[in-house]
Amino acid sequence: MVSLPHCMRVTEGIEVDVAYQPEATPAQIRTDMGYRVALSRALIVVGKVELTRCDNFVGDLWRTIAPARAKAHVLDTPTSLGVPLVLDLMESAGTAELAGTLKPPPGRYCGMRVLAMPADPDAAGLTDENLEMMQHSVLVAGQVVDTSSGEELALLARIWEVFDCEILFDRPLVFDSPVLETVSIRIDHTSWFDGIDFALQSAEAVQQLITENIRSSLRAVLSNGQDGL
Amino acid sequence: MKGCWAIAALVAPVWAASGASACGTCSVGDPTLTVVGFEQPKAHRIRTSAALRYRSDSIGESDVDRLTLGEQRMELAGAYSPTDRLAISLMMPLVHRLITEVNLAETSVWAPGDLDLRVRGVVWRDRKFAPRHLVSLTGGLEFPTSTIEYGPEGQPLPLEFQAGTGSWDPIAGASYTMFINPWSVYVASVAIFPTTGIADTRASQSFRQTVLGQYQPWSFLAFQLGAEFRIDGPGYIGGVRDPNTGGNITYGTLGIVGLPHEKLMVHATAALPMIQRLDGTHREGFAFTAGLVYDI
Repeated sequence: MVSLPHCMRVTEGIEVDVAYQPEATPAQIRTDMGYRVALSRALIVVGKVELTRCDNFVGDLWRTIAPARAKAHVLDTPTSLGVPLVLDLMESAGTAELAGTLKPPPGRYCGMRVLAMPADPDAAGLTDENLEMMQHSVLVAGQVVDTSSGEELALLARIWEVFDCEILFDRPLVFDSPVLETVSIRIDHTSWFDGIDFALQSAEAVQQLITENIRSSLRAVLSNGQDGL
Repeated sequence: MKGCWAIAALVAPVWAASGASACGTCSVGDPTLTVVGFEQPKAHRIRTSAALRYRSDSIGESDVDRLTLGEQRMELAGAYSPTDRLAISLMMPLVHRLITEVNLAETSVWAPGDLDLRVRGVVWRDRKFAPRHLVSLTGGLEFPTSTIEYGPEGQPLPLEFQAGTGSWDPIAGASYTMFINPWSVYVASVAIFPTTGIADTRASQSFRQTVLGQYQPWSFLAFQLGAEFRIDGPGYIGGVRDPNTGGNITYGTLGIVGLPHEKLMVHATAALPMIQRLDGTHREGFAFTAGLVYDI
């Protein structure tokens, strides 16, 4: 058919770029319990990241009651990204890894929720070297040295459970008109081993404490440079 | 009397023409009836018309994937009656669509729509001069004249962003008209059978039923009250059913018609959805039409 004149104009709406930014991994991590940890491997799989509304009381209540669940390739929504991403914290030190762009509706958003879960076969960042991340949410390996006794211990933590991490912004993001915002999720794995007495605690207890430390180690940094909690 | 019939014939089908569609780009009803009319055709008459239409639509879940559509159409049409039993019309729309996504992103599209050809034949009348009862059959075809809008990766955009279906769509229908001065009644059934169009998309098959009554207390003014029922089948994208297509909807319509000159008629009609049983998360809103018709 004859091509008739036409025109199309697109105006971008509210957009939030989300990126993960692991801290650089030092040669040795000194913990608050007097241990030195030398990591050889540190990986985490992020299954979903979601903006949370300030007034989502019912949703928060439900999540308090219900355990976190893994869903293979959760579909993206305007407030969540559902494509799993394997982050190798030893290799991506200090560099930002773009997770995607959220397109949320107008509203007040007070934080983000990050879901750690085992990877899908087609998860981004999954390679032959880290295929075991299909069974683990987090994998940490290395050596631990007790600075008081000089004793050396092997560290291997394989966390298979699905868990979520709540991150609060230091100020609400209020969207009432088209805008581009950037949220960088900082992952500080140098604090993952605080509060752990490797010499006394069982492997299960160590893994549980690492999980708790991971939850508290995430921070959200907004584009204007103001850090979240 | 003749003026009364002319007004009824010209304007009654407006809402058969402009009721909102179940999918974003389906042509709706029979827009050419406005220019063809449903009275007995007058041999060798040429008629033109222009109409502006507005309608709104929303598809998808709130805060998830909702698209809100506002559409304005300007339709230019012409009709010719070679005999007193036959009328042929052509209608070309210019379409403006404003699609708003949940994050307030907007897409504005100006484009020509699908060219519409109709032929109406009177198959029965109670008498040749000033008939009081007319039965007509209608056949037609929508041509894929609308342009295709593409996304940044070069892929065709969904139908909601298109000004037409981009498909060859046959149309068939029948109507009955009764004239008892100062009243007239129009009943019409129209079915549209879309073929595969833009991006391997097949718009819904659609059946529309219009019932309209008109009261004309003065020769220059008439009032209309009516209902339009529409039932749509499912639409498909690449062979997969679009969950937000299909179902039925009934509009209530209210209109006014003026005849400022013997060759000129103006009209305006508002329509409000009364019963919505559309599939998926699909809501249609208020619609409005205004226009004029001129006999050459």
